[in-house]
Amino acid sequence: MGEHAATGLEKWLLDKTGKDIYFWNFQVLMFFTLFEVGAVFFEVIPGTDIRITRFMVWAILIGVGIIKGYGIAAYFMHLRGDPRIYTRTALFPVLFVLLMMWGIGLSNPEAITELPSWCTPDWDYATNR
Amino acid sequence: MGGFNNHVDNSIWGRAVLMAGAILTIGIVAFAALGLGVGSVKHDEYMEAKDEYKEALKDTSLTEDELYKIHHHEIDAHLSYLTYWVAGVTILAISGIYAIFLGVGGFFNSIQPQEDHGHDDHHDDHHDEHHGSASPIVFCIGVLLFMMGFPDFVEGMRALLSQGGTFAAGDMVLSTLGLTIIMIGVANWWREDLPFIGHGEQIATSAPFEGEHIRKAGLWVFIMSEVMVFATFFSSYLRIRTEWCTKWAFDEGRCGVGMTEGDIVMTASDYLRPGGAAGTGDFWTMLPGAVNTFALIISSYTIVLALKTAKDKNWEAPKGALKFLFPDKKTAVRNYLIATLLLGSMFIVLKLVEWSHLVAEGFTVGTVQGSIFYVATGAHGLHVFVGLLIMLYLVFKADTIGYDEDNGQGIEYFGLYWHFVDLAWVVIFPAFYLY
Repeated sequence: MGEHAATGLEKWLLDKTGKDIYFWNFQVLMFFTLFEVGAVFFEVIPGTDIRITRFMVWAILIGVGIIKGYGIAAYFMHLRGDPRIYTRTALFPVLFVLLMMWGIGLSNPEAITELPSWCTPDWDYATNR
Repeated sequence: MGGFNNHVDNSIWGRAVLMAGAILTIGIVAFAALGLGVGSVKHDEYMEAKDEYKEALKDTSLTEDELYKIHHHEIDAHLSYLTYWVAGVTILAISGIYAIFLGVGGFFNSIQPQEDHGHDDHHDDHHDEHHGSASPIVFCIGVLLFMMGFPDFVEGMRALLSQGGTFAAGDMVLSTLGLTIIMIGVANWWREDLPFIGHGEQIATSAPFEGEHIRKAGLWVFIMSEVMVFATFFSSYLRIRTEWCTKWAFDEGRCGVGMTEGDIVMTASDYLRPGGAAGTGDFWTMLPGAVNTFALIISSYTIVLALKTAKDKNWEAPKGALKFLFPDKKTAVRNYLIATLLLGSMFIVLKLVEWSHLVAEGFTVGTVQGSIFYVATGAHGLHVFVGLLIMLYLVFKADTIGYDEDNGQGIEYFGLYWHFVDLAWVVIFPAFYLY
């Protein structure tokens, strides 16, 4: 429960570096936070003329968020190694969260023209019928 | 947990009262130094800058550029004053609340009739039985009453702090009753948990958590209900944000026909982010949020280290300078928990400093974008603060009874909550501060 014997990647890291998975997870979290904060400080990618667009920021923030979320949940919260029932419990609200996100498309006046079709009702059908 | 597995003398609670006194002293000293000392100097500078700007407005010989610089200087002086004053007041307030919880709880427990455990051989058979606790229910009733009276409580506090309105004692009754019940519930909960040294942990006997610690399973279910709370804030934010004509949307031609730059909706990130539409964002405005993000991640690591140290049967004191901080296992666990407590407290202080700056710059709770920002980040801040109050007790237990491989799960279960708070910030920070 909680702390587990190191296996796989955790054991490899421990053997090679002498530092446990918590230490490396912490380093990864710190690095990606720095990357995340750094991303919004620049209007263009340093050393290039490529402008950092809204969608690029979205991609960075979501990507970094997923990595950090996994690091915290899997290693700090011990979901990796704990019985699977805890992971299932943790994932249960995802269903409702997805429904909420879908609701954004359903209830938004801009949904007809601005949001991707996968998260909107079939407005064209409703209009043409 | 109500397992009475260790004899705890009531006098131990006197130490909680002493700790409360020490914390309050630190708070008063910090307030005197930051709020009254540096704060009053900064206040004078702000008043001078304000007068200078007033005079400059009357002076027709000044160019627009010169006027802008004087105005900018006044704003900087104001924000600088707010930084020290709000930091001082916040440290005083949170140390006061820490002291009340620890001091009143400690005092309440120290005057209880002494229980005689561990000396009566006739009761040995019952040592591994669980003793269900009513404290969480008492605590919840207190929270219910406090929340029911909260709107009136805010009005009453506003009047008490001379922020407007008329004070009526009736406004405070329900919330004060709620707070009193919370205090009783918490103090009793601490009293029940302190002697627990790891034997008699309740185990689930049926699916789906069969064989697991009931406390851990319950905490996970609680955390999932919290996920729903934050998902509500987050989806509300996304829902209304998709309608706003933000600077991003305007630059990409996504605003409606006829929308001009004057119609752009300012979000919190426009004030905080360098290059944000409000034009106020730079390295320093982004700093509190960024530092807070690092503080939460570091605090997640320190609590993991506290757990790891507690569970380590072969723990050895580090060599070199670190030996002074971690001379033995018990002190090491306590110091890791104190580090977590300090980082969390810093989070609250920086959060309120940042809020004061945002309000001073015109980003108030009176707008839709302000409302969702303050409610979501405030709810998160409240979770951090509740966590800190629990951590206060963990520090006390680590300092007195101590945590080891048998009862270290107390840190683990609290750690789950603390990591969740970190996880929620992983979502809130980019959504509200960076985008």
